[in-house]
Amino acid sequence: MDWNILIKVARLQLADRTSLTALPWGLLAIAFTVSLAVIGSLPGHHGQIPVGGLVAIYLAFFALGVLSVTHSLPFALALGVSRRSYYAGTALLAFCLAGVYGLVLAVLAVIEGASSGWGVGLHFFRVAYILPGPWYLTWLTSFIVLALMFIYGMWVALVYRRWNVPGLLAFAAAQAIVVVAGVIAASRAGAWPAIGRFFTTLSAAGLTGLLAALVMILLAGGYATIRGVTV
Amino acid sequence: MTSAISVVGLTRRYGGQRAIDNVTFDIEAGSITGLLGRNGAGKTTLLRIVAGQEFPSAGSVTVLGDHPVTNEHLLHRMVFVREDQRYPQYGGRFTGFTVRHAVRAASWFYPNWDAHLADALLDAFGLPADRRVQRLSRGMRSALGIVIGMAARADVTLLDEPYAGLDPVARQVFYDRLLADYAEHPRTVLMSTHLIDEAAGLFERVLVIDRGAITVDAAADDVRGAATSVSGPAIAVTEFTAGRTVWDRRQIGSQVSAVVAGALDDTDRARAAALRLRLEPLTLQQVVVHTAGVSPASQPSDTREGTSAWTGTF
Repeated sequence: MDWNILIKVARLQLADRTSLTALPWGLLAIAFTVSLAVIGSLPGHHGQIPVGGLVAIYLAFFALGVLSVTHSLPFALALGVSRRSYYAGTALLAFCLAGVYGLVLAVLAVIEGASSGWGVGLHFFRVAYILPGPWYLTWLTSFIVLALMFIYGMWVALVYRRWNVPGLLAFAAAQAIVVVAGVIAASRAGAWPAIGRFFTTLSAAGLTGLLAALVMILLAGGYATIRGVTV
Repeated sequence: MTSAISVVGLTRRYGGQRAIDNVTFDIEAGSITGLLGRNGAGKTTLLRIVAGQEFPSAGSVTVLGDHPVTNEHLLHRMVFVREDQRYPQYGGRFTGFTVRHAVRAASWFYPNWDAHLADALLDAFGLPADRRVQRLSRGMRSALGIVIGMAARADVTLLDEPYAGLDPVARQVFYDRLLADYAEHPRTVLMSTHLIDEAAGLFERVLVIDRGAITVDAAADDVRGAATSVSGPAIAVTEFTAGRTVWDRRQIGSQVSAVVAGALDDTDRARAAALRLRLEPLTLQQVVVHTAGVSPASQPSDTREGTSAWTGTF
């Protein structure tokens, strides 16, 4: 693996700086403003209301993953970039972006805590259970989830490129089957209490580890898909 | 001879259609080869497979002795900008992917990239560097493809319909620059086109592809002399063409014009002069038109009147 080529692929993707910056932060800013306005206008003190606006940046990362493939794959292959380098270079960009953006999210969470929720008790960046604890754990979890969304978006776009709409439907159906099969198996085995215990006792770091494993699976799936993609 | 591109038994099926049907050929290193054929004959598909963008259904392709697709080092010695090349298309008026972005990105991936040549070509083609690629006209997109394809100085340069939509001045620029640059930096050029006469002077060798199969694979000079148009009074033409393979024959009043396959020697020419017949060697384009109209199996013995659907350029 030639790192130079990977960095060049990442640079090719970075040519579209506007999307990479404006899309996630713009959506997040909108979600934040709405949350702040709504929570701020509620009378009295109101503990922790989960606003969930943070999901905006994760959806934006999914969209960026899709866009990265649809925009630049044909041009990159025309320039003699192998499918493997293209995939690895784009994934590298995903991890770098997730690292930087995740850090910003962690910093914002710290500021939110210090300013008692932007003065109105808003819990926008501090999501209970998933993003608790010290700033570096928030950073780590944000990083993993952002990367996961981007790489999942890439995979979706690659499936579409390779097999079109039927492929996309089969892809969605396959994921639904995995989930349903898991639910049925858990119910049959009467494992729900055990699963509940597992997740309530799982630390944020443990959860992040699980998500990291999922990222690995998505990476492998996306790579297997791009190997047969034609342009 | 060292082969730059070697294709053996290549077949590509799409559903039941054979876009490429058992194609075999070799292309010598350091040559300019024309890949000629009609729309939909399989030119772009063939180039895509050579470039590793598409996979063969059967057969094999080796470029510079190795397989594309998997070989990173090989890919960097090869450039292929398609006629319908897709460029990144994001952004608005101030943030979109421009000609400059495209050229700069291309320069990163080619070790022999010639920035001076790229600038000179952009200038010669009158390509505005700050124009978004999305907003380029057809001809300008072709020109951008040529800039990238030539400035890459790749050992194997695949050009797909580089003439498409170019104005006459730009076509001349392309022709002159390619020959000049090729003379200084020899490489293997495989170029598809259906504007055959325009490009005829470039080719050392031609491959004609028709409905997925190679129908002609020969040195360009041999193809040029491969057929002659004979015209004059009907009786004289009939006398001259007796016993020869006639590809086409059309009559206007008492005057007949026939296309005779095969090279003519001095005796033939003297005889034609005595019969007061006019001889004109067919251009590359005319030969290709004739070979495309005549199925290879019936070609040697078929004598036809000029009534077929394909009308030659006489």
